[in-house]
Amino acid sequence: MSQHKLLSLAEAVRRYTHDGIQYASGAALPVGSDAIVFGRELLRQGRKNLHAIFHCNTQQLNLLAGAAAVDKAECGFSGLEVFGFANGLRRAVESGQTALEDYSNLAMAARLLGGAMNWPFVPATVNIGSDIQERSAFAPDDYPATRKIPSVTDPFSGRQIGAFSPLKPDVAAIHVSLADPLGNAIMLGTEWSRFELSRAAKKVILVADAIVDTACMRQYPNLVRIPDIIVEAVVYWPFAAWPQSSPGLYDVDEEHMKFMNKALATEQGTADYIRDYVTGYDDIDGYLDLIGRDKAERLANGVTSFLLDPFRQWIKTPEEIAALTSEVAA
Amino acid sequence: MSANATQNLPYTRQEMMAIATGRELRDGELAIFGVGLSMLAGYFAQAHHAPNIRAMTEGGVYGATPVGGLPWGIECNRISANATSFTNAIDALGFLVASGRCDVGIIGAAQVDKFGNVNTTGIWDGEIGDSYRLPKTRLTGAGGANDIACGAGRVVIMVTHEPKRFADKVSYISSPGYLDGGNARERYGFVGKGPSAIITTLGILRPDPLSKEFFLDAYYAFSSVEEILAHTGWDLKVSPNVRVVPEPTPEELATLRRVDETGALRKS
Repeated sequence: MSQHKLLSLAEAVRRYTHDGIQYASGAALPVGSDAIVFGRELLRQGRKNLHAIFHCNTQQLNLLAGAAAVDKAECGFSGLEVFGFANGLRRAVESGQTALEDYSNLAMAARLLGGAMNWPFVPATVNIGSDIQERSAFAPDDYPATRKIPSVTDPFSGRQIGAFSPLKPDVAAIHVSLADPLGNAIMLGTEWSRFELSRAAKKVILVADAIVDTACMRQYPNLVRIPDIIVEAVVYWPFAAWPQSSPGLYDVDEEHMKFMNKALATEQGTADYIRDYVTGYDDIDGYLDLIGRDKAERLANGVTSFLLDPFRQWIKTPEEIAALTSEVAA
Repeated sequence: MSANATQNLPYTRQEMMAIATGRELRDGELAIFGVGLSMLAGYFAQAHHAPNIRAMTEGGVYGATPVGGLPWGIECNRISANATSFTNAIDALGFLVASGRCDVGIIGAAQVDKFGNVNTTGIWDGEIGDSYRLPKTRLTGAGGANDIACGAGRVVIMVTHEPKRFADKVSYISSPGYLDGGNARERYGFVGKGPSAIITTLGILRPDPLSKEFFLDAYYAFSSVEEILAHTGWDLKVSPNVRVVPEPTPEELATLRRVDETGALRKS
C-alpha cells in the first residue's frame, strides 16, 4: 500500500521544512481554516528565519512571528478580523524582527495563480497608485519601490498597470477538512486561495481534521479541489486549526483566540504560551486534553456541523488511521 | 468626545452610523461587505429595505446571512452556516469585483483623509519619509479593502469620527480614495468610481464632484456642524445645504438589532 501518504506531524515537519524556508500556509482567512498545529510543530522543532507566505495572517503567523521565528512575511490582511490586531505579528513588525511586505488579498491570490501558471508576472489592476506599490519593507530605501510592483504598459491598450511577482513557495501546509490516505482533499467553507496555492507550491503537505475513505472522494469528485497527484504527505490532526474554526467540524474557540492573542502581546506571555500550548503536549490525545474534551465536543456541535453530515459515513477512526500510518512507516 | 453623549437617545452613535450606511445600499445591487461593523450595516440593509441585494464576502461566501450575531470573520461559521455557495478569493475579489461587476462595497478605516484615501496599515509620527521606517503602531494592512476600493462601482467608508482618524493626508494609502484629488484615479484606470460617502459616528461626508475633496453633507440629530469641524483634522468645507440626517425609525432600529444580535454596535 505504498501509495498511502499518511505521515505523522512531527515527521512531516522534519522531512519537509528547514530553517530559512519559504513556507506557505494554506488557510481561509484569520478566523477560519489554517494548519495552526503545523506552526506549533515548526516551533517545537526550532525552525527559524522563516519566509512566511500567508495570504492572510492567522494565529499561526501571529504565533510564529511572536516567537521570533519569522524574518520575512508577505501578507494581504495582517490582523485577526473582529478579534483585533495580531499582537505577536505586530510586535515583531514594530521591533523590526519581521519585515512584513504588504499586498492586498486579491494580490496574494493572483500571485499564487501566477506561480501555479508559471507566468513571468501577473498584471496588476489593484494595489497600484497606493503605498502598497510605493513602499517595500524588503527594500525600505527604494522609494518609490521599483522592484515590488513595477509599472508596465498593457501592450493592447497602452495603459500603465502594475506587475505582480508570482509566488512559488518551497512548501505549503494546507489545512483541509477531509483528506483520504492518498491525498485527495475536500475543503468545507471558502477555499480562499488554497486551490491556487496547491498548484503554486513546490511541495504540498495536507493537514486534515479528518481522514476519510477514498470512496468518499469518488462520491463527491467535484468537491475534491486538491487531487492526490500533487500532494507529498497527509497529516491527520483533529482540531488542527484550533483555536480558529473549521466549517462543518468545529467553531472558533473565542476564549482561546483572545487568550492566545493577549499572550502574544509580550515576550514573556509568548514564552508562557509556548511552554503550555506548543511544547505542552506529546500527541493528539494530549493536544485534545489541552483544548479540553468538553470544550472540543461543544465546539464540534456548532451551527455548521450539518455540513459534515454527508461525509460522516466515510470518516476513519483514530485506530484505523494509526494502522495505516504504521504501514507507511514500515 | 463622550461615548455617552447619546445616552438620552434610544440608539447609539454606532447604530446611527450603521443605519446611515445601510441607507446607501439599494435593492438588487451586487454588494461586498468588509469584516466587522460594515457587515452589520450591509446585512441590516438586506433585512430592512433591500431584500434582493446580492451580498457576498471576499472569501466567496454567497447566499448567507449571519447567524448568532456579528461574525468573527468574513469566513467564520456564523456566516458559513446558511451559505448557498463557497468559492474563493480569485472569484469574489477578482471575477466579481476587479471585473467591475460589483456595484457597491463597504469598508472601514483606521484613518481617512480629505480625498477619501484610507489607511489601515500603520501609524507613524508624521510623514514616513524616503525610507520606509518601522511604524510606531502596526495595524491590519489592506486586506481586501484595496481591491474593493479599486474595483467596486462605489465605496462607502464607515469610520468613527475622531480627530486622529481624520487627517489632511494619511501617512500611508492602503486603499485608494481619490488619491490627490480631481481625476487622479484615471491615471490608474480603476474600474470603480471611488468613495461616494464617508459615514461617521457624527455625520456624512461626500466628495465634491470636481475636486473630489470631501465636504460635510449632513449631521445627526445628536451632533452638530461645530462638533464635526472640531473632530476633523483638515479644514472641512460645509455644504451650504447641510442637513440633518433623519433619525432611525423604530423599524430600522428593530431590524438592525435583530442582525446585531450580540450588540456589537451598542458597546462603546
